[in-house]
Amino acid sequence: MSDRVKIGITINGAPHEGEAPARMLLVDYIRDVVGLKGTRYGCDTSNCGSCTIVMDGKSAKSCTFLAVQAHGRELTTIEGLAEGSELHPLQAAFQEAHALQCGFCTSGMVMSAHALLSQNSDPSPDEIREGIIGNLCRCTGYVPVIEAVQLAARRLDPKGGNP
Amino acid sequence: MSAAPRPPLVGTPVMRKEDPDILRGQARYTFDIDLPDMLHVAVYRSPAAHARIRKVDLSRALELPGVVAGLTGEQVRQLGYVNPLSPFPFQSRDPFKRGNPTIKFFDHYCLAYDKVRFVGEPVAAVVATDRYIAEDALDLVEVELDPLPPVVDSAAALEPGSERLYEDWDDNVMLTFRVSGGDVDAAFDEADVVVKETIHSGRFTGTPIETRAVVADYDASVKTLSLWTTTQIGHAIGTLVENTIGLPGLKVHVNFRRIGGGYGQKWAFYPEEILVPLLSILTHRPMKWVETRREHMTGTIHAREQTHHIEAAVRRDGTILGVRDRIVANIGAAYPTGGLASIVTTGMFVPGAYQIANYEGQVQGVVTNKTPYGAHRGFGKSEACFVIERMVDRIAANLDLDPVDVRRRNFIPPDAFPYRSVTGPRYDSGRYGEALDKALELLDRDHWRNVKKEAAAEGRYLGIGTCLVIEPSSSTRMGSYNAGYYSVRMRMDPNGKVYVFPGGSDEGQGHATSISQLVGDELQVSFDDVMVVEGDSLACPYGSGSYSSRFSVVGTTAVTMAARALREKLTQIASVMLRHPPGGLEYADGKVSVEGRPEQAVSVSEVARVAYFYPFQLPEGMDPGLELLYHFRDPNIEFEADERGRVAMFSSFPYDAEAAVVEVEADTGLLRILKFVSVHDCGNMLNPLIVRGQHVGALAHGFGGALYEELPYSEEGQPMAATFKDYFLPTAMEMPEMVLEHIETPNPFTPGGFKGAGETGTVGPPAVLANAVEDALKPLGIAIRRLPLTPNYLWSLIQEARRSRS
Repeated sequence: MSDRVKIGITINGAPHEGEAPARMLLVDYIRDVVGLKGTRYGCDTSNCGSCTIVMDGKSAKSCTFLAVQAHGRELTTIEGLAEGSELHPLQAAFQEAHALQCGFCTSGMVMSAHALLSQNSDPSPDEIREGIIGNLCRCTGYVPVIEAVQLAARRLDPKGGNP
Repeated sequence: MSAAPRPPLVGTPVMRKEDPDILRGQARYTFDIDLPDMLHVAVYRSPAAHARIRKVDLSRALELPGVVAGLTGEQVRQLGYVNPLSPFPFQSRDPFKRGNPTIKFFDHYCLAYDKVRFVGEPVAAVVATDRYIAEDALDLVEVELDPLPPVVDSAAALEPGSERLYEDWDDNVMLTFRVSGGDVDAAFDEADVVVKETIHSGRFTGTPIETRAVVADYDASVKTLSLWTTTQIGHAIGTLVENTIGLPGLKVHVNFRRIGGGYGQKWAFYPEEILVPLLSILTHRPMKWVETRREHMTGTIHAREQTHHIEAAVRRDGTILGVRDRIVANIGAAYPTGGLASIVTTGMFVPGAYQIANYEGQVQGVVTNKTPYGAHRGFGKSEACFVIERMVDRIAANLDLDPVDVRRRNFIPPDAFPYRSVTGPRYDSGRYGEALDKALELLDRDHWRNVKKEAAAEGRYLGIGTCLVIEPSSSTRMGSYNAGYYSVRMRMDPNGKVYVFPGGSDEGQGHATSISQLVGDELQVSFDDVMVVEGDSLACPYGSGSYSSRFSVVGTTAVTMAARALREKLTQIASVMLRHPPGGLEYADGKVSVEGRPEQAVSVSEVARVAYFYPFQLPEGMDPGLELLYHFRDPNIEFEADERGRVAMFSSFPYDAEAAVVEVEADTGLLRILKFVSVHDCGNMLNPLIVRGQHVGALAHGFGGALYEELPYSEEGQPMAATFKDYFLPTAMEMPEMVLEHIETPNPFTPGGFKGAGETGTVGPPAVLANAVEDALKPLGIAIRRLPLTPNYLWSLIQEARRSRS
């Protein structure tokens, strides 16, 4: 396809200029043009949520956007959470609560939880369930994920969190 | 005073060392492998269930700019060196031409030729510079098919005049197997009552979130194929690829280091594992194929579809004297999967947790125009458990007894272990009655009985269900790739760090963590000083793979024994260094010291350096270095069945007592789980954090299969659930509140006392929820005979019951 378009985004705090076919999905752009492989997908229908990123502060399934639609926007992917070798508190909570097994859905799960916590620093278990309803996991049975998000909420916002 | 031993790692909830890499988005799955000049494959799949192929024409597809190559089934056969897909899990076809079981095979190639036999069967492939273009090219593939009558239902497939899938077979039966023990006829003669049922287990599957993917890179100059594939059986795949692509001199390096969930679906030999390498061989370019979810739902194995015609001979007090079960499994097309092994397994384990002395199981695997049938977490035992646990409740209903009492009356008692089952397996240990009692206590059954009574007075339908799941694990099978042993290579380097190379692979179970715990304790090295390299066929010893929860049984034992052998060698070298007999030495806390004289000590790393760099100081005849290969053979299995089909093919017997309270809304059929309890026994727990994670995850699969997941087909053989929009996995919203408890009855056949873990949870919910629903709907006289328990199914049963009453 010759209809290539120029795309400028901010990704994980850094500007990125690139080019892609107009029909390229954002998830493929992130993976194959930007080269960040941590964002993945496991379905064709925007159900599994493995491709979830944060776009302009909100969670977004990057398989439902064309790359060109991200032009001018600010994206955060799983690679943008940790600082240096230190895991982000949310990532650390996932490890502590054993909220991941095979890890294939984990990037998307963490990013959905990240978006949730940025909007609601003290979510109830039901709010967490709703926050990750768009993320399918076949390993964990979700219970440890809910626990991890609660743990992270307490650590990130010790005043507001449920004891 | 000697140094205090360090606190053990085994048995504690150590956090996983696999996680930081994954959490940072740095883990690399097959999907993430990019190679220079790589091309992308898209597969044209049959849109028809059953048809003769008239024409497959790629010429228009090949004209599309960006398309580099294509391949059809006829072209594959014309290459001359490609063989039909080698059978899996069997090592060869020959042992099965006579005797019990009888198995027929068919020569499927990696692309269909002559006929297509299920929607989703690979027919042709196109290769392009990117996947978008390859997908465009699929639209230009011209295929003409002459429809044939589809064979969808297994009962219809068994009719004498049925259309045959394979014309050189005399019927549609791929496998027959019979196992029996005791005197079944006498048991039925003696019975007060015979309870007969026909029970269906529905078709569903595991759907790992990572779909399958294959990357292949053939180097013609050295005739070596580098293969990345999403598999639980990497070494076996290498062998199968060599068998199937018959190029003289071909060698295969299989990479399967990071797999995004398996659950059995990646325990098969798939056409794409030949197709993608072949395309690399033909084009001299690296090749990548990533399965779409729609491809996955039709081209990756399904499981569980069985019909049981079962009858039980019982005494009036509920004692089960004997059982006969005729099992018909709808196994789809005859591709190389573990499906046959799984239905044989069902036949072996219908007796379940019960002391049933007289049993006969007959199994038929019937081919149909559906997706091939294979392994799925719970592997054949799930269906057996569903049926026998349903039967116990049906027996109780027939005799007006409490199902809990019927269970207790028939349980294998704790003092009967190791227990030789009527079908041959030796159950290692168990306290079934105690587990069930504990589950009922945690459920607070008496309280819920009262609630149920009150609800009934208001016209609401509450029910209480129980079940006892056994989940035999660590399998072995005659003439197959799962040969019952596990190999581990282990090296302590000159600095005292330990490198472990197991023969298995990890699909998310946390092997590196578990192995580091075991090695840390045995060799007294720190958890962080252990590195595990798994899933690389060149680095690791040959192994049959990860399935059947075998890592925690044979894998952990091989690791433990390898570490003990290294420790023994270290102690012998230290004995020379300390000029003290090895018997009087103590190995603790990174040092070897003379017992009672802690100042007379050498550090383990000093000993390690001697082993490598001062070979002349080693005891007479000892090899230099600290590297060894250990093979552990499972002691609790047999390879040869007797004349009645009896054989011990699984070695450890984790189990789980489950109890649930449900409410069924009569006007909608909607089911609510009000309380769910599981009391799980997987022997000693190596890592309670991992065991809990495995168990909760397995329960989610179980709830899915019990309530939501099904793979229905139309009469034309069209799959009706081919995406996540119509195949419903549980989300976070569907998980009920659960009360989980463990009891630990050590496995006497392994040094650590571990049994398999992570599968009972998949097995139990269909049985316990069906039992609870039947209890709830008892006033309407409803019996549950199939899954899943969807609102539609329950509503229909309720409507029918109300109609027949009015």
